[in-house]
Amino acid sequence: MRCQWQEFINLLPGWMRQPVDEHGAQQLQELHLRMDEPPQLILKNQSIWLNKPVRGEDLRFCINAATKYSPWTAGSIQHGYITAPGGHRIGLCGECSFDGQTLKNIAPVTSLCMRVARDFYGISADTWKEQGSVLIIGPPGSGKTTFLRDLIRQISNHGKGAVTVLDERRELFPCSAGKFFFERGKQTDVLSGGRKQTMICCALQTMSPSVIALDEITAAEDCAALLEAAWCGVQLIATAHAGSKEELYARKTYEPLVSQGIFDTLITMRTDKTWQKEGFCL
Amino acid sequence: MMIKWIGAILIVAGCGGFGLMIASAHRKETVMLKKLIAALDYMECELQFRMSALPDLCRQTASECDGALRQVFALLSQELEDQISPDVKRCMGSVLAKSKDLPLQTYQMLELLGSNLGRFDLNGQLRGLESVRQECRLRLNKLMNNADVRLRSYQTLGLCAGAALVILLM
Repeated sequence: MRCQWQEFINLLPGWMRQPVDEHGAQQLQELHLRMDEPPQLILKNQSIWLNKPVRGEDLRFCINAATKYSPWTAGSIQHGYITAPGGHRIGLCGECSFDGQTLKNIAPVTSLCMRVARDFYGISADTWKEQGSVLIIGPPGSGKTTFLRDLIRQISNHGKGAVTVLDERRELFPCSAGKFFFERGKQTDVLSGGRKQTMICCALQTMSPSVIALDEITAAEDCAALLEAAWCGVQLIATAHAGSKEELYARKTYEPLVSQGIFDTLITMRTDKTWQKEGFCL
Repeated sequence: MMIKWIGAILIVAGCGGFGLMIASAHRKETVMLKKLIAALDYMECELQFRMSALPDLCRQTASECDGALRQVFALLSQELEDQISPDVKRCMGSVLAKSKDLPLQTYQMLELLGSNLGRFDLNGQLRGLESVRQECRLRLNKLMNNADVRLRSYQTLGLCAGAALVILLM
């Protein structure tokens, strides 16, 4: 298991660092900071609370530490989250102000959900041998992104061809000054930070991929991007939010993907981090 | 008698010097505000076209400035890199506490800049910079208004006050 733990600790205000490090270095999954409430550490099998309540300046510190005091540099803030150095994701809650459809500001920020990015080698087992496209589903926090990261690395290292990763949230293979925090495999190219639809066209036209991998299909435009890439002779690997196959079929957003049969294999992740593989049939 | 004359000359020179000092501080303030406006122009340009993060932006701005402003922006860049304070306002506060020889108005404008940096979206950040620049321009215009006449007045008043004091004492 690999984790940029020190990068995570650096995001926290001074008083929080030692207790979080003590309790969570090995098994912290999420840290919830809520204004005027004590920090909640969600570990593998339990939750613990620290003693001191969180103040507004603690929340500001975390956001500023994650963005080097420059929230505008994290384009994702318009979607309510920041990807911090080390690939850790910080979700923001508070009073939002909008300019049309665009989120302009969240002030004051009243809650943060800081999710620790951890990298597990070999958890995708022999899924890399699958020939067709693969969809990974699961509820939030079930390990879809971790599974996808390992699958990408396995495919890339087993010589199945070049893998182009479209990392809109910069979570799969976070990088700072050209240095990747997680091993990405010998044949992996990472295109990050842009909209999926734009990046898919770029990847197809310029990177000659055998496999295109992308995380979190959440909106109709993401599905449209996948449909564009389907049947171009490229294997697709993606993750989506759905607790089960039934939930996936029930969600309107995913209807085009399901009805057109883009995917051949479905991986269902569970909250206890186990998973099951099955054929994808209509 | 000789001592009286020497004393008189010293009083006149002292008061005249005081007048000159006020005039020189006034000139320094004007120059610093002009430099700060130029630095803000540079920051706006960098933000618009390169979206630099604040520590880099301040470092680049420091390299474009000279004197006290160079020091302020370099220290601010370091303070931001160190990530000790929860927001930019406090980082700027601790930098200004270390920078002793800043003219009052420039100090106030830098304080204002500190509280305007670190906005959420780029447009908001650019507007924040613009509001500081606007305030700088207003203050600069006030300083420049009849500046020549006022500066001459300070110097003349200093000399005259010295002469008056000498007459009273003699």
